[in-house]
Amino acid sequence: MKRRVVLVDDHDLFRAGVRSELGDVVEIVGEAGSVAEAVPLIRELDPDVVLLDVHLPDGGGHAVIAQVAPERPGVRFLALSVSDAAEDVIDVIRAGARGYVTKSISGADLIDAVRRTADGDAVFSPRLAGFVLDAFRSGEAAVDPELDTLTAREREVLQLIARGYRYKEIAARLHLSVKTVETHVSAVLRKLQLSNRHELTRWAAERRLI
Amino acid sequence: MSSPYRLPLALPGLRRAEGDGAIAGVCAGIARSLRVDATLVRLTFALLAFAGGAGVAAYAGAWLALATENGPRPSPRRRLLGYAALAVAGAIALRGFGFSDSLIWPATLCGAGILLARGRSGIPVVVGLSLAVLGVIVFVDQNASGNGRDAAFESSAVAIALLLVLGPWAWRLAAERDAERTARIRSQERSEMAARVHDSVLQTLALVQREAGDSRRVAALARRQERELRAWLYPDPRTDGAGLASAMDAAATEVEELHGVPVELVRTGDVPLDDRLEALVLAAREAMANAAQHSGADQISAFVDVGEDEVAIFVRDRGGGFDPEAVAVDAHGIAESIRGRMTRAGGTAALTSSTDGTEVELRLGRHA
Repeated sequence: MKRRVVLVDDHDLFRAGVRSELGDVVEIVGEAGSVAEAVPLIRELDPDVVLLDVHLPDGGGHAVIAQVAPERPGVRFLALSVSDAAEDVIDVIRAGARGYVTKSISGADLIDAVRRTADGDAVFSPRLAGFVLDAFRSGEAAVDPELDTLTAREREVLQLIARGYRYKEIAARLHLSVKTVETHVSAVLRKLQLSNRHELTRWAAERRLI
Repeated sequence: MSSPYRLPLALPGLRRAEGDGAIAGVCAGIARSLRVDATLVRLTFALLAFAGGAGVAAYAGAWLALATENGPRPSPRRRLLGYAALAVAGAIALRGFGFSDSLIWPATLCGAGILLARGRSGIPVVVGLSLAVLGVIVFVDQNASGNGRDAAFESSAVAIALLLVLGPWAWRLAAERDAERTARIRSQERSEMAARVHDSVLQTLALVQREAGDSRRVAALARRQERELRAWLYPDPRTDGAGLASAMDAAATEVEELHGVPVELVRTGDVPLDDRLEALVLAAREAMANAAQHSGADQISAFVDVGEDEVAIFVRDRGGGFDPEAVAVDAHGIAESIRGRMTRAGGTAALTSSTDGTEVELRLGRHA
């Protein structure tokens, strides 16, 4: 069964590119170029996965997640961006995106990421893993009650993702099952999402990210 | 650019707020300009109406003299008529409050002068100024006793008039200059942006069009442009441009440009460079260059992890891999540039290779 995907991106060219790369593997059921277009479309189509641009002309991708997620808990969001700015990553992951990949991702990797997002797994690009490691780094020195520290295993998994390892390779290296690796990554994602806005702003400010 | 307090007479944005008003929007407009409640202004006008009808005259004058929010300025004639009505209103009001004529007429002259001087062009300002000076002189003339009239008194009267007329006018000018300055800064930013886009992005696009046949070259060009633009748009606040992070950025960019293979560089943290860390960067650069040249992979991953005790750099490719033993003899790059360098710096280098690709692992303690 093909996954049903909605593309939300304000660049027609980029949408066309993604469509031609994914078109055979997944079913692209709808496209939108703004928050205002995307919200009713996703509500109506109830897709498996929404590929969501972080930057949209009438608000960020996080606005789409915030408006849709409460009513459509089954819809999963994968953020795509050309931006490296840490705030963008914070916003979209905080809002509930299951992952974050940069737009330079290869077609094969994007297909894999969509599949994993649809299965409910967290999709960490090496860049996101590096960012998250950075975020939790000082968390172990200065005890931050809101931002739980990572376990040694979670840290190990994130480091391997940052080094460019795929989940399967991580599993082989750490003698774990792929499912366990995915569980660790999801746990990291949850720890990020659980911490409240205020705390996130504070740690970002302390780490001079914003 | 707005100040919380506005000099009432300057009232730069005074317009009739026709939509919000009860009659012609005069009170609503004044209230908006003063940032007070409209009811307060209406009450003032109502009270003034009892002072011999001054409020009515003032309202009529303002109606005539003021433009609506988006409408054109009223004709000069209409404005003049409005100002005259306002002056009369002022006179009536003062009289109604029991002031003597000797105060009323100078005050009216001054008021009319100030209103005229609100304009920007020269002649109304000069006329307004003259009226105000005249008003003050008349006041002095009528109130001072014959003996008290001396030169000092006259000149202070002129100074007061100047202050009354030129104060609001200067205030307005200053506000306008501030607005102009903001606009100028904005336009400077815009032209800086345009220059940057022209020098980098447009040049790259031109190159891309010319070399459209060579996909590797095009990818490398795009990649380089992306890095440049990214560094400019999102400067990394965690690096000061002189630490390990920047050195690794530069090394990765060099390898990309030299060999045309993209390097996906991920890094956490930053430390100031020293001789040992420079050796680490050089070793990492060699590892990236090796991967780009020999692995056949279309992308290289590099991860810089600055830990509490050590700095680790991992360079990984997904190429065909090789047997380290078999090439060890002539692999000067690995033996000398990577292993030797790391050993001398007090660190370690490990290499693992399989058919899934190759990874070089460099580790260096932070404290020698």
